[in-house]
Amino acid sequence: MIEVERLTKKYRDRVAIDELNFTIGEGEIVGFLGPNGAGKSTTMKILTGFMPPTSGKAKVAGFDLFEQPIEAKKRIGYLPETPPLYPELTVRGYLKYVCELKGVPRAKVKSEIQRVAEGTGIVSELDRLTGVLSKGYRQRVGIAQAMLGAPPLLILDEPTEGLDPRQRKEVLDLIKSLGGKHTVVLSTHILAEVKAICRKVLIIHRGKIVADESMASLTGGKETGLEDKFIALTSE
Amino acid sequence: MRTTFAIMKKELVSYLTTPWAWVVFTVTSFLSSLFFIGLLVSFKQFHDEVHQSPNGWADVPASLHVFRNLTDGVVVNLWQTMLVLTLFVAPFLSMRLFAEERRNKTFELLMTTPVRPIEIVLGKYLGALGIVICTIGVTIVFPIILSMIGSSQSGDTLEWRTVMMGYGALLLWGATNMAIGMFISSMTESQMVAALVSFAVALAWMLLKMTASGLDEPFRSILNYLSFDQQLSSLLKGVLDVKPLVFFGSVIALFLLLTHRSIEAQRWTQ
Repeated sequence: MIEVERLTKKYRDRVAIDELNFTIGEGEIVGFLGPNGAGKSTTMKILTGFMPPTSGKAKVAGFDLFEQPIEAKKRIGYLPETPPLYPELTVRGYLKYVCELKGVPRAKVKSEIQRVAEGTGIVSELDRLTGVLSKGYRQRVGIAQAMLGAPPLLILDEPTEGLDPRQRKEVLDLIKSLGGKHTVVLSTHILAEVKAICRKVLIIHRGKIVADESMASLTGGKETGLEDKFIALTSE
Repeated sequence: MRTTFAIMKKELVSYLTTPWAWVVFTVTSFLSSLFFIGLLVSFKQFHDEVHQSPNGWADVPASLHVFRNLTDGVVVNLWQTMLVLTLFVAPFLSMRLFAEERRNKTFELLMTTPVRPIEIVLGKYLGALGIVICTIGVTIVFPIILSMIGSSQSGDTLEWRTVMMGYGALLLWGATNMAIGMFISSMTESQMVAALVSFAVALAWMLLKMTASGLDEPFRSILNYLSFDQQLSSLLKGVLDVKPLVFFGSVIALFLLLTHRSIEAQRWTQ
């Protein structure tokens, strides 16, 4: 689903990511981990076509992000760090607008909104303004927006940020249920979440991939395996 | 095409569901009606004076003969003041176009959905165009009021051809201001900065003609050509002229193109 080859991004002299190579298969739920400033958000911004890399290649579903950006973007649902909401629109109006941007067929818009609203538990909020929603609901509307049009790849940047423990669990269950149908790339600081739902882990540190393994081989089956490994890999 | 219209619709909804556009409508209507009343009062005073003088219009210098009819004496002058008023209010409408997207972090949404940047620019501009037409569009009530209650000793009360040409010139100027304002808004995250810079640009443009008068040829002709009041003068007088249409059309196209370049460029520099 994702093929990344020698991907590099430099901001003037600072190298944010340095020759990343990895592939992510279809239907996988991948935890994308790394300390703050390791290059997670940069990688995600490149993979969603928001930002071009300095060099290297990235392909989504076989489409090069910079040669066929429209085709690639049609296959990606993206939740940025901050849910991209327009405070003056209602949740329904907002989801309808995103459907139009994504080119969801007119006849399907209504059922599509209903589907993602049920999936993310925001049916009761559909007619409220997005500007007055609590942080948890905003985050869910952000996820709902990413799911519109059922893109095969979902890229979620810290989707559980700001949620209470119950909402957190609901969102994680939701993401887990998406596995198989969607490929999910999940970035987060919270290792327990990754452990709960991801089968594969990518750890990035100082712009380089330091681990690209299945959860089982990384943790070695130990309860604290992921924490230990994460700290060991990102310590220097 | 569908996305362009979706973006246009969303822009109009955003303008009309927040108080901002309504404040701008109100201020524009209020100020333009003040100007209108002021123009009517001086028109009437002038006519009273002329009627008291023994020779009537024969004593009046030719340059003041525009006051003989309501079209030239009131409406054309009103359009001219509206040009300046537009220059003040347009930045307040255009400032949010892109600056707000970047502040809300919704710019990332626009750039990661399968939408071409040109569709974003066109959609936003059409929305902006709609709102500026609503804002200055209300002033059409003034000639309507005049035609209903005014009178003329010969012919029609108003010469609608001239009125509509001037109105068209006004809308054209509004459309140009929005294109410039949109470009400036695309370069900053701050709406205040966007409004201020757009205003400065429009004001500098207004001052071109004044600057021109103190210069030698060929600079005087160049600046005169570029000044917007010069370009619009024939339309305001009711003469259909293609030159200003081409001139402002090119300016609008240029700024739409610059906006397109600007949002593309940001992806590379961020």
